[in-house]
Amino acid sequence: MDPDLSSSSVLIGREHRRDFLKRLALVVGSSSLLAEMPWWSPLRAAPVSDSPADRVRIGLIGVGSRGNVHLAHLLRTPGVEIAALCDDYEPHLQAGLAKVKGAKGFSDYRQMLDMPGLDGVLIATPLYLHARMCLDAFSAGKNVFCEKSLAYTIEECQAIADAHRGSNKVFQIGHQRMFSPVFLRAYELVRNGTIGPVTQIRAYWHRNNNWRRPVPSPDLERRINWRLYRAYSCGLMTELASHHMQVANWYLGAYPISCAGFGSINYWKDGREVYDNVNLVYRYANGTSVVYDSMISNKFYGMEIQVMGPRGTIEAERGRIYSENPPPPAGIVQLINGIEHGFFDTVPIGGPSWVPDLKKDVSGDPLVDEKITDDGTALELAAYANSIRQGKPIPGMMEQACRAGVCVLMGETAMEQQKEIAWPEGFRI
Amino acid sequence: MRDIVISQQHIRRELQIFFVCILVALAVNVYSIVHFKTHWTELFTTFHITLAVAAALFVLLALLRGIAVCGKRILRRKAGTPGAEQAGLSQKA
Repeated sequence: MDPDLSSSSVLIGREHRRDFLKRLALVVGSSSLLAEMPWWSPLRAAPVSDSPADRVRIGLIGVGSRGNVHLAHLLRTPGVEIAALCDDYEPHLQAGLAKVKGAKGFSDYRQMLDMPGLDGVLIATPLYLHARMCLDAFSAGKNVFCEKSLAYTIEECQAIADAHRGSNKVFQIGHQRMFSPVFLRAYELVRNGTIGPVTQIRAYWHRNNNWRRPVPSPDLERRINWRLYRAYSCGLMTELASHHMQVANWYLGAYPISCAGFGSINYWKDGREVYDNVNLVYRYANGTSVVYDSMISNKFYGMEIQVMGPRGTIEAERGRIYSENPPPPAGIVQLINGIEHGFFDTVPIGGPSWVPDLKKDVSGDPLVDEKITDDGTALELAAYANSIRQGKPIPGMMEQACRAGVCVLMGETAMEQQKEIAWPEGFRI
Repeated sequence: MRDIVISQQHIRRELQIFFVCILVALAVNVYSIVHFKTHWTELFTTFHITLAVAAALFVLLALLRGIAVCGKRILRRKAGTPGAEQAGLSQKA
């Protein structure tokens, strides 16, 4: 039975979700594929009506940078009411309240959790607060959407997974690529063997800035630039790498058995405590490796996740696939190229076989023909709201959250201890 | 300044030359298809390339013809060939 992906009515930008999902059904292709991605199932829900019974009341904890993105999306998600906002930084809270009429403001999230009629919370706070807030929210009987990465320590990841298992509440993690049509298409091509068996995944995230946010007064430095301090975050690993490690685990259908790597502060020596460059290799049971690096002192290569096999390479961020053996061009084009090469190419002194194996400058083919504006955030929020409405946890979600969350913490430990770190034995999802 | 008059005969000759260029480009395409063992449908699907090759050939020929005319003119002027002006080769208006 083909799932009916066209039965809801959430607007995604200027695009109607019904049309969007119809097209997405074509992109994703088969119901068997959707069965492998059970977190999509909430999007098969019946259309949202105007009835108050269909309304989902959400409280947003953390109205900073990412919190504001979620706020903007939630305001456009039918059937969602932003009932409360919480932030202990007053300017952020007031700015958020100005955008949402009728929402109640809180500076302490525990008071917000006591608010009657609140169906779920969305946690967009610094990493070190995730576990405490998730656990308190589950204890208060709330459904939880938590921004990535899952938690600050592996023990906290385990605690969240355990609490969720006993709660029967909805949990969703902010890995929006799980809902990105381009990443879904890439997954389909990986699974159907278009590029052959995956032999390596290489991912990188490069920027060239100090990763700082403006601070109105020095005493707010650690609160606002929490990503730079080890007491609150694991820096590039938890804030950036977790996205690509989630995709890598998802595509490989596994978690790594171990990882090793190095990191340092080699450029931004400005008092920060987290690495400004990280380089890691994750080893999987079938012999596949995920090679990851991130830096903030050069942005030439930007960010990408490259899934490689003997028959091709997928660059999911760019949304393109490159065949290892693309069909030859037309005869006349080959002839012209041959003449051109004969005139202009230089032959190495050792003969033509000594031409360097430089990257071929090929444009490849797009993964999805149409331009899709949603990076998955709109759909993941729609899925969260639908799951709360249905009263059913999102299948497979905690597994994805834990695998990615644990992966990046393994990486951080490997770099700190400068030794190979194994997947934590006995970790239960 | 003098008026440049392009006669009907001149246009017809240029069109004939371009037509020959197209035929040559088509022949090159046929050779490529046979040589690289590609599909015969390329005769149609790569017709735009054939036209581009024909245009390139035509421009190349025009350059060569221009050089030839200039060369002839210089030689005639050096030799003081009588009748050059009647032949329309003089620069005088």
